[in-house]
Amino acid sequence: MSTTSGTRRVVTALALLMVLVMTTSCAVRTTSILRDPGTVRIALNAWVGYEASAAVLQYLLEEELGYQVQLVQIDEQPSWQALDQGAVDVIVENWGHEDLMRTYGPDGNDTVVDGGPNGNIGHIGWYMPAYLVDEYPGINTVDGLKENADLFRTPESGGKGEFLSGAPGFVTQDQGMINHFGFDLSIVYAGSEAAQITEIRNRYAAKEPALFYFYEPQWLFNELDMVRVEFPEYTQGCDADLDNVGCDYPLYHLNKIFRKDFAEQGGRAFQLIDNWKWSNDDQNAVAQLIADDGMDRDEAAARWARENPDVWRPWIPAGASPETD
Amino acid sequence: MTVVPAASGIRSGPPPWLTSRWTWALLVLAALLVGFAILRGQHSFPDLPEAYQVGPFFDRIYDWVVANRNTSPLFLYGFNYLSVGLGSAVILINQVLTLLGWPGVVVLGVFTAWRVAGPRIAAFALATFLSFGLLGLWSEAMTTLSLIITSVLLALLVGIPLGILAGRSDGFNAAIRPVLDFLQVMPAFAYLMPMLLLFGIGNPAAAVATTIYAIPPAVRITAVGIRGVDPGALEAAASLGSTRWQLLTKVQLPLAKRTVFLAVNQTLMLAVSMVVIASVIGAGGLGDAIFQALNKVNVGQAFEAGLAIVLMAIALDRVTAAAGEGDRGPGAASGRRGLPFMLVGFLATAVAVVVARLAKIAEWPKSWTVSVAEPINQVNDAVQALIGGATSALGTFTLGWVLDPLRTVLTDSPWWLVVLAAAAFGWVLGGWRIALVGGLSILATGLLGVWGLSMDTLSQVLVAALVTVALGFVMGILAARSDVFARILRPVLDAMQTLPPFVYLIPAVALFGIGRIPALAAAVIFALPPVIRLVEDGIRGVSPSATEAALSQGSSRMQLLTKVQLPLARSSLLLAVNQGIMMVLAMVVIGALVGAGALGYGVVFGLAQNQLGLGLTSGLAIVCLGLFLDRLTQSAARQGE
Repeated sequence: MSTTSGTRRVVTALALLMVLVMTTSCAVRTTSILRDPGTVRIALNAWVGYEASAAVLQYLLEEELGYQVQLVQIDEQPSWQALDQGAVDVIVENWGHEDLMRTYGPDGNDTVVDGGPNGNIGHIGWYMPAYLVDEYPGINTVDGLKENADLFRTPESGGKGEFLSGAPGFVTQDQGMINHFGFDLSIVYAGSEAAQITEIRNRYAAKEPALFYFYEPQWLFNELDMVRVEFPEYTQGCDADLDNVGCDYPLYHLNKIFRKDFAEQGGRAFQLIDNWKWSNDDQNAVAQLIADDGMDRDEAAARWARENPDVWRPWIPAGASPETD
Repeated sequence: MTVVPAASGIRSGPPPWLTSRWTWALLVLAALLVGFAILRGQHSFPDLPEAYQVGPFFDRIYDWVVANRNTSPLFLYGFNYLSVGLGSAVILINQVLTLLGWPGVVVLGVFTAWRVAGPRIAAFALATFLSFGLLGLWSEAMTTLSLIITSVLLALLVGIPLGILAGRSDGFNAAIRPVLDFLQVMPAFAYLMPMLLLFGIGNPAAAVATTIYAIPPAVRITAVGIRGVDPGALEAAASLGSTRWQLLTKVQLPLAKRTVFLAVNQTLMLAVSMVVIASVIGAGGLGDAIFQALNKVNVGQAFEAGLAIVLMAIALDRVTAAAGEGDRGPGAASGRRGLPFMLVGFLATAVAVVVARLAKIAEWPKSWTVSVAEPINQVNDAVQALIGGATSALGTFTLGWVLDPLRTVLTDSPWWLVVLAAAAFGWVLGGWRIALVGGLSILATGLLGVWGLSMDTLSQVLVAALVTVALGFVMGILAARSDVFARILRPVLDAMQTLPPFVYLIPAVALFGIGRIPALAAAVIFALPPVIRLVEDGIRGVSPSATEAALSQGSSRMQLLTKVQLPLARSSLLLAVNQGIMMVLAMVVIGALVGAGALGYGVVFGLAQNQLGLGLTSGLAIVCLGLFLDRLTQSAARQGE
């Protein structure tokens, strides 16, 4: 008897306490999580080119300005959500995503801002091995591909030719192109860039046919000889209907996306990232050190920085005296 | 109705239920095949009207959350507390570990291990800590450790009281069981999507996902422990006038202590595996290191991080296991010496911290690292060159002759026939209730709008499960009969069970290309350990008197196995089948990362493209398949008894 009424009293007290906490304490926003102002958090999307950019920025922020840098591995689209919630400060290589800009940008939640181009030009496309084009001249055109689609048949793609796609998070319009041009192809997703590259390398080693989604800037171009399939050039709006796309992928002027508060209060860290701009060759140089030579990304960044001081010197904010120690 | 005679006992020849049940199952299969042959390609699952579709509904919820996360009271006064609190806790613990520096952490950790588990395990802990540093993964390991500490503490805080309640109240037990079942059949990947929605990205969401994932064993095993307490002891205490609270603290908990520590142990192990998978939603640490290495097709680097995780898991496992066995450490016999020991430990830690600060080595020096990535990559390449051709031929054969036909039967049969067949299997194996559950869960996958994907996944799971069970039984029997083999196998199984699923994928891709086959291979390897263990345990658990009796009557080893050991271990064996199937299901989903497609791809795609509708319906469909397979095999196990 006494214990049950005791329990009841405890429960009532707890309930009251809860109500008290709810009503008196302040509302908690996701942005109020513990954070260190000396730490910059860069979203890290899952391809090596991106990692190269992030690594160089990390190196410069840490060594030249004395910041701590955290690279947060996360997919392309969730990175935007992370910016929105204040979990990361910047995306350093963004591919398009106008819809997300509408949701989170000035016309939506107003939590992210476009940071302008980073100097890299991105181009997605369909690729095949050079030896295949040597063997079947003209196969890298719409008509040639249509004729030879059955070359790409694999057990996994069944009766149709296989179009090997990459990670699910990547931007694609491939189904629309297959529909528009009437290719007898079916898309097989490798599921991750790692799996796709492994598969491509295996095909090259066996000199087998392969047709795959790929993009520039990409370090693998330095290792394998790939030929781009020719499609009608991109024109504004030709990819409006994703089920019927009669053109190639557009050229992306890859840009930076900042968390709004970081752009306003990020101080010299923000200024450095804002100043940063480099070429596809710069990025590939670092990416290859990481992916092909198996170097740690911080080593690769350090080496690139040692060899190219005149490229990055201008990025360091004016009046900079190292804050370290 | 298959009314099963309760005790068939040990009899020579197959017991009657076996023959009749198998006959029925074959009949159902034959009916399915006949239906498929006649109606092939017709009656595919109809589309629901727009308003009743589940996917778009979830998409609308997602849009709402994105727009209102920092304005709606539900988040301001609810979920955000948890996410901000947990996220901050992870950061705080990490800061403490950083403050201690590696010498402080090593001294504290090794001292604790020594105190709790004795010198041998302390030495192992020391080696583990040093390996983090040597592999150049110290800070990653500390992030992972903080995540694990946060989520395991929270899981135990919630799980153990719930387990005690479930142990003491039949009503509560019955109420919470379906919830736990649901949580346990939900594959890790499917957790991530809703967590992302409610708790945002990064460590907070990872901590919540890990916590929830790790709670079920804490509740279950604690409940089992409390229930397992000798009723005589309880009655004796009650007759002496103990209150319920006294009963709990003085009798039930002390007597169930070993089992409760097992719960702690299992919670830890699950947390370790989830923390790795959570790197997909931005959790940092070792999982992230693996994930990043895999994106670079660097098996060696992934292996290094995987090794660190495995060592951490084994160390945590051994320490908690020893804690449950009763203290083995020095001075454990007398509780009075506990305090001075703790003081010594703290002092030693403090000295280590101060010395490290003075010597400026609080951070692990970069020059003290060795890399094993390069040789591992070379071995991987060599193996691929050696047997790559054979394995890919095997893969092509399996695809063409087993997987594809099975998938065609499932996807091209009329949907109502598949639902009926599922129900009929349920009826044959477990009676009308299982029939209802089976039929409804298969029907639900269609209602969720992912019928085709579900049938594809089901075909993969069935094939992988068959291979797993066959291999697992053979190895389990061998391990039960040879102590040497069992001793060699144990650390291998330990390592396999703690190895993060990601790591299995890349060599599988190297050997089998991409697609369903590598996913299947990874699933088989992933699911083997528990099957082997349960089979071994079951056979070793057969009472020695039964085996002796059989031996004295002149049974050969083969007869002993088939006539005595296997029949007596039947419930363990069926549990092994059940566990094998559930783990295969979990892994097949992750196989989407290497092109297995189907439901797993829905989850991965939903996660990567922020399409909650697709991600969540695929996740729920996986749960439905899990429920179906779980209920079917469990009821078979129960009927077998």
